[in-house]
Amino acid sequence: MSEAAYGRLKSKKRSERTANVITLVVVLFFAVLVLFPIWWIFRTSLMTNAEIYRFPPSLLPADWLFSNYEKTLKVFKFWKYLWNTMVIIVPSCLAGTFTATLCGYAFARLRFRGKQLIWALCIGSMLLPAMVTLIPLYIGWTRGLGLHDSYLPLILPYFCGGGAFNIFLIRQFILSIPRELDQAATIDGAGYFRILFSIIMPAIKPAMIVVALFIFIGLWNDLLQQMIYINSSDKYTIALGLTNFRGQLKQEWSLTMAATCLSFAPGVLFYLIGQKYFVEGITMTGMKN
Amino acid sequence: MKAGKRLGGVLLAAVLAIGAAGCGNSENNEKSAAPTGGESSKAPENTSSPTKKVKITYSMWGSAEEGNTTQAVADKFNASQDRIEVEVMAIPWENYMTKLNTLATANQLPDTGMLREDGVIQWSSQGMLNDVGSMYEGSDSKPLDSLAYKYQGKTVAYAAANEILLLYYNKDMFDKAGVPYPPSALDQAWTWDEFVAAAKKLTIDKNGKHPGEDGFDSQSIVQYGASVENLPWQLETWAISNGGGFYNNDGTEVRIGENASVEAIQKVADLYLKDHVAPLSVGQTDDGIQRTVIAGTVAMATNGQWNVGTSLNTAKEQGLNYGVAVLPYMNEKVTLNTGGANVVFSQTKHPEEAMEWLKWYTSEENNWGLISSGIWMPVLEKWYTDETLTRKWVENPNFPPYDEYKSAVVDYAQSSAARPASWFYTNHTTEFNTLLGSILGDVWTGKTTAADAISKNLEALKAAHSGSQ
Amino acid sequence: METIGKPLKRRSRIHSSEQRVAYICLIPAFLGLIFLTYAPLVGVLGISLTNWTGLKSPEFVGFDNYVKLFTTDPYIKDSIIATIYFAFLSVAGSMIYSLFIAMLLNRKIPARGFFRAVFYVPFVLPAVAIYVGWSWLYEANFGFFNYLLSEVGLNKILFIADSRYVVPSLSLIAVWLAGNLIVIFLAGLQNVPSVYHEAAEMDGANGWKRFRHITLPCMTPIIFYNLLMSLIANLQVVTPALALTNGGPGNSSRFMTYLMYDQAFVNYKLGYACATTFIIFAILAAFTAVLFKTSNRWIFSEGGDDK
Repeated sequence: MSEAAYGRLKSKKRSERTANVITLVVVLFFAVLVLFPIWWIFRTSLMTNAEIYRFPPSLLPADWLFSNYEKTLKVFKFWKYLWNTMVIIVPSCLAGTFTATLCGYAFARLRFRGKQLIWALCIGSMLLPAMVTLIPLYIGWTRGLGLHDSYLPLILPYFCGGGAFNIFLIRQFILSIPRELDQAATIDGAGYFRILFSIIMPAIKPAMIVVALFIFIGLWNDLLQQMIYINSSDKYTIALGLTNFRGQLKQEWSLTMAATCLSFAPGVLFYLIGQKYFVEGITMTGMKN
Repeated sequence: MKAGKRLGGVLLAAVLAIGAAGCGNSENNEKSAAPTGGESSKAPENTSSPTKKVKITYSMWGSAEEGNTTQAVADKFNASQDRIEVEVMAIPWENYMTKLNTLATANQLPDTGMLREDGVIQWSSQGMLNDVGSMYEGSDSKPLDSLAYKYQGKTVAYAAANEILLLYYNKDMFDKAGVPYPPSALDQAWTWDEFVAAAKKLTIDKNGKHPGEDGFDSQSIVQYGASVENLPWQLETWAISNGGGFYNNDGTEVRIGENASVEAIQKVADLYLKDHVAPLSVGQTDDGIQRTVIAGTVAMATNGQWNVGTSLNTAKEQGLNYGVAVLPYMNEKVTLNTGGANVVFSQTKHPEEAMEWLKWYTSEENNWGLISSGIWMPVLEKWYTDETLTRKWVENPNFPPYDEYKSAVVDYAQSSAARPASWFYTNHTTEFNTLLGSILGDVWTGKTTAADAISKNLEALKAAHSGSQ
Repeated sequence: METIGKPLKRRSRIHSSEQRVAYICLIPAFLGLIFLTYAPLVGVLGISLTNWTGLKSPEFVGFDNYVKLFTTDPYIKDSIIATIYFAFLSVAGSMIYSLFIAMLLNRKIPARGFFRAVFYVPFVLPAVAIYVGWSWLYEANFGFFNYLLSEVGLNKILFIADSRYVVPSLSLIAVWLAGNLIVIFLAGLQNVPSVYHEAAEMDGANGWKRFRHITLPCMTPIIFYNLLMSLIANLQVVTPALALTNGGPGNSSRFMTYLMYDQAFVNYKLGYACATTFIIFAILAAFTAVLFKTSNRWIFSEGGDDK
C-alpha cells in the first residue's frame, strides 16, 4: 500500500471517529429529552398522591416509595393480566404477520385481475378510524355470532391480513428488494410460494418483525375494544387492568404510574429481542455481500 | 313520511344484518345471555337451582376490586331472600357510558345499574329507563326530594348518593396570613367581594407582595388565594347566585344570555384575569382539589363534597389542616346538589326485582364503606335530620371536625340554598355544557369576554338545549 | 421471431397461475375487507341516514344529518381546521425527527442497541400514562415547564390551556411518540444494499452526496409509507383530546374523530356521528389521494411497480 493511500485511509478513519463522537453527543442529547417525560412518570410512581401536585415540582421523590409497587401488585394482578393479554396477542401476532406477508407479497409481486381495485379498497380501509365501525362490528360479533365476553372478536381480525397498514408495510419492503433476485429463481423453476418462502421472507424479516411488534403494541394498549368486548374481571388484560386505579370517584395516580411502569416492560423486551433480528442480523448479511 | 320511516327501519335492519357479518344465527338474538360478572355468560342457565331465582345484573363504574366489593354486598342480598340473584358487572370509569351505549345497541343491557348524571334524562327521553316512582311507596324513610331525577313528571331515577358543592380551605395558610376562616354557617356566608378581598390577602408573589400592592408581579405568584372550579355544570351555581341561571326553573328556557348570568361567569374568570387571586383553569381536568388545596398552592377552592373521601382524607392523614365552609354568594346563597343515578333499564324483564335490589342496596347500611370514607353522602332524609345518625356518619377521622362539617355540609345540603343541578330535570345538559365549555375556552384566558362569547353563540346554545343542534 | 414469441407465451401461462396464487394469498385480506371494513361501512352509511341514538329504534331522516353538519353545526369547521393543523405539524415534525434519529442510530456508535430502545419506548407506553404525565409538565400554573420558565425569569406559557398553544403542544407529544416511525426507518436503512455505498465511496462521494443519491432514493418507498401512515394516524387523532384537553380550550383541539366520538358516545347521536364519519373519510381520502398522485414522481422503486 502506498504511503499516500495509507495516509488517506488514516485521515478518513480519524474524520469518521470525530463524526461518531458528534453523533453520540447529539443522540445523547435527544435521548435525555425523550427520557425526561418517562422519568417524570417513573418518579411519580414513587411518590404519594399529594406529592405529585406539590409546588415547586421536584425531579426526585422525597422518599422513594417502592412500597407503591407492592400496593400496585395487590390490585394489578400482573401475571394474570399478562397471561390473558398473551392469549390474545400470540395468535394475533403470528396470524397477523403471516397473512400480512401473504397479502403484501401478492400486491408487490404478482399480477392479477382487479389488483388496482383491491389495492384501492385496502388503502380505503386505512382511512376509517376504528371507532367508526365499533358499533356495527360489536353488533355483528355479539348478536350475529353470539360471542359474548370473548377474546375472539379481538383475535380473529388479525387472521384477515393483520390490517391494511401492515400489508402495506410488507408490500413496501418487498418493493425495495431487487426484482432480479426472484426473477433468477423463476428461471430456475421455483414456484411463487417457494419464492415467497425461500427468497422474499428471509429478505423482509426486519419488516415482518416490525409488523409483529406493531400488532403486539397495538393490542397491548387497545383499551377501547377490549373494554367493549370483555365483561368479566377474570378476563381482564393489562390495558383493562390499568383502569383498576380509577375507582368510583378517585384516581390513584402514583399507583397508576407504577402499574404503567410495570406494564410497558414486556413491550420493550419484545423490542430488544426483535432488534437483534432486524438490525444487527441484517447488517451482517449486508456486509457479507 | 310514515312509509319513509318504515323504509328507514327496514334499510337499517338490512345494513345491520350485513354488519353482523351476514350471519343469521338467531340463537342469541334473545337477551338470554346477559353479560355477567362471571364466566357464567357462556352457559347462563346451566346453574339453575331448584328454587329458580330470578337473575338480574347490576352494572357499576369502578375498578375490578370495587366490583368484587359490590358483589360481596350483593351476595348478602342474595342470601337474604330466595327470589332474586344479583350479579355485579364492573366497568372501568373512562368508558362506562360508551360501553352501556354499545350494550344498548345490541340489546344486551344489564337490568339495572348506575348512570352518569348527565345521561339520565337523555336515556329516559329515549325510553330506556323505567319509572321508579313506586320504589319508596309505603316506606317510612325516603330520599331527599332534591335527589329524584324527573322526566315529564315521572321519577325515572334516584341518585345513588348525595353531593353538594362547598368551599375547602387550608387553615394553616389562613392562620399565617391572619385572615379569619371562611364561615361554615349559611347565615354568615361571605359575599363575593368579601371572598375576593380575603383571597387577595392570601395571594403572595415571589417577593411576598399581594395583588393591588405596588410591585406585585402576577407572573411570579407562589401562592394563590382562591380557585373557583369552572367546569360548566358547576358554573351554574354562580349564574343562579347572581340572579340569573342557565335555564328557568323547569328547564324549558335558556337564561344564560341574561346579564346576571354573563356577569357571574365573568366574575369567575376575573379571579384570574383581574384580581390575580386564582390560578388559571380551563376546565380540562377533574382533580381540582388535588391541584389546589392539597398541593398547597391555593388557600381555598370550591368543589364537590366527594373530595372529602377521594383525596382529602388521605391528605389529612398526611398532615393537611383543612376546613369546610359554605360557598360565597353574589346575590342569592346557592349551592348545587347532584349524585350519580341508579336506574332500572326498560330492556329488563324483571323491573320489580331490580327495584327491590336497588332499594335494598341504596340503604346506607349497605353502602357504608363509601359513606364512612366521605365519598358519598347518604340519600335518605333521616341521616340529615336525626342527630344520632348524623353523628354515626360524620364522627370519624375521615371527616373534618363535626361541628364544622355538620354546619357547612349536612345543614347546607338540606337548606334552601341547595338546588338540584339542572340535569335532574333538564334534557340535553351534556350538549349544552360541552358547547358552553367550548365557548368559554377563550374567556378564561382573557382573549374574549363572557358577554361577547355568549351573545355570539346564544342561538347555538339554545339549539343545543332543545336538542335540535 | 422465436425470441419474441416465447416470452409472450410464457408470460400468459405464468399469468394464470400467478393469478391463482395471488388470489390464494389474498383470501385473508378479502375476508377482512368485506366483513371488517366494508360491510360495517355500509352499516355506517345506513345509520348516517337515520336519527338513531343507539337507544331508541331509528327513524329514516334522509340527508338531514349531512345538511345539519354543513349548516348549523357549531363545531365542524373549527374541528376540521384543528385536525389539519395538528396533522400538518405532527407529520412534518415526526417525519423529520424520526428520519434524523434513525440516521444517527444507524451509525456505529457505542451502546447503539440501548439508544435504539430509548427512542422507541414512548411508543410502547399506554396513552393514559403518557397524557397524564405530560399534563403535569404542561400545567399552566404549577407545571414543570412553567416552573423552569419562571426560574429563569420568563413569562409563563399556558401550553394546553391556551387556544394558541394547545395544538403545537400536543404535536410535540405526537413527535415524541414517533418511535414506530424510527423503527421502520431503521429497518428500511438496513435494506439499502451496502454494495451501493461501497461503490460510491470508491468513487469518492462524500457523506451528504451518498445520503442524497443513494440512501434517500432507496428509502423512498419507506419514506412514502411512513408519510402516509403518520398522515392518516394524525388526521385520525383522538386520544390527546380524550385524555387531556376534552377538545378545548374552546374548540382548538376538538379533532374530527373526537367530535365524532363525542356525538356518538356522549350525546347519543349515532346517526349524526356516522354522517360526520363520512366527512372525516372524505378529507382523509382527499389527502391520501394527493399523496399517492404525487408519489410516482419521487418514489424510486427498485422492484418496479407494474400498475
